[in-house]
Amino acid sequence: MAVEYDPAIIGKVFDVTDPVPVTAAAVRDYCEALGETNPLFTDEQAARKGPHGRLCAPPSFAVTFRNGRHFYQHVPRFGRSGFDAGKDVEFIHPIFIGDQITLSSHVKEIYEKTGRSGSMVFVVIRSTLGNQLGETIAHIDHRFMHR
Amino acid sequence: MSTILDLHSHSEASEDSRAPVEAYLNWIKLKRHERPLDGIVLTEHRQFNRNADYRALEDKYGMLVLRASEIETDYGHMLVFGVNDDITRRFDFADVRLPAQQVIDEVAAMGGLVVPCHPGRPNVGLCEHYEKRPALDNVVAVEILNGGSRKGENERSAALVAKFGYRATGGSDSHMVSLIGVCATRFEAEVGTIEELVRELKTGEYEAVDFRPRPSPIARAIPVEAK
Repeated sequence: MAVEYDPAIIGKVFDVTDPVPVTAAAVRDYCEALGETNPLFTDEQAARKGPHGRLCAPPSFAVTFRNGRHFYQHVPRFGRSGFDAGKDVEFIHPIFIGDQITLSSHVKEIYEKTGRSGSMVFVVIRSTLGNQLGETIAHIDHRFMHR
Repeated sequence: MSTILDLHSHSEASEDSRAPVEAYLNWIKLKRHERPLDGIVLTEHRQFNRNADYRALEDKYGMLVLRASEIETDYGHMLVFGVNDDITRRFDFADVRLPAQQVIDEVAAMGGLVVPCHPGRPNVGLCEHYEKRPALDNVVAVEILNGGSRKGENERSAALVAKFGYRATGGSDSHMVSLIGVCATRFEAEVGTIEELVRELKTGEYEAVDFRPRPSPIARAIPVEAK
């Protein structure tokens, strides 16, 4: 399978979401759903004495933010089929109650590899989470395999 | 003094591994009674990790950490030992259709050595390509023991070695910490540098060694009358 694409798409932001507020209720529901009991995420008084001086969300809360409605239309396709090949998440900065989170996405990388079952093309889309202060919260690399 | 090295492993520098190099070394330290390794060779996929410096980790764990590459060719995957600037200038390691014969010959001329890995593996192993095309010239050794092989794959590799008289290496092909060192290569000589490794692979004495845990035998039931 020949891999042909316009190299100009690499690094070009194609999707930016509207800011999503982080509410205390959303963080509490998330902690309950996961059985998270760390007081830094669940107990306001304990969190005040913690490293951040206030409640924050568990790092994995970063993956609860959704990409824009047209996100998948911008994922380059190769071959006839594909599947979600996983995600890498790099946590950079805590998420606090009251933050406004925005996701911006670009094609990070396209590469080929060969394996037992034949040739594959991987497309990596990076979604960067940022807050209202312009701080980067996390990078989420979505990996899609095509063949 | 002999040297035992895992000649095939992937750290987090490869896109499909999440194993930090230090975690590998720590695991070997913990498992030394089962896998008595002197060091590992990192063979990252389709790249040479030129700028990585593992000297501090080598000192901390008393183990050798060498760097090589796993490339993809028209005859399957191959390990390249002794990668240097001449080699990386000549060949684009990201190319998944590198011409195997050319790579073998030119890498050797530039001071390195190419060792086809997991030859018994479908699609990316030498065996399947040999069924369709002529055998490659100037192959010194192939990986006869691969820790990531499925049933029958190492056996196909052994048959290839027997047929062509290749020398044989072993490597774990580890992508995760707990598998490091399950297969390795024992050299008769002391190996302390990548140059010495290439020299020994070309002309030294070595063998593939298997440290994979053996399944416990199932206890046989003894009929009551026999007791």
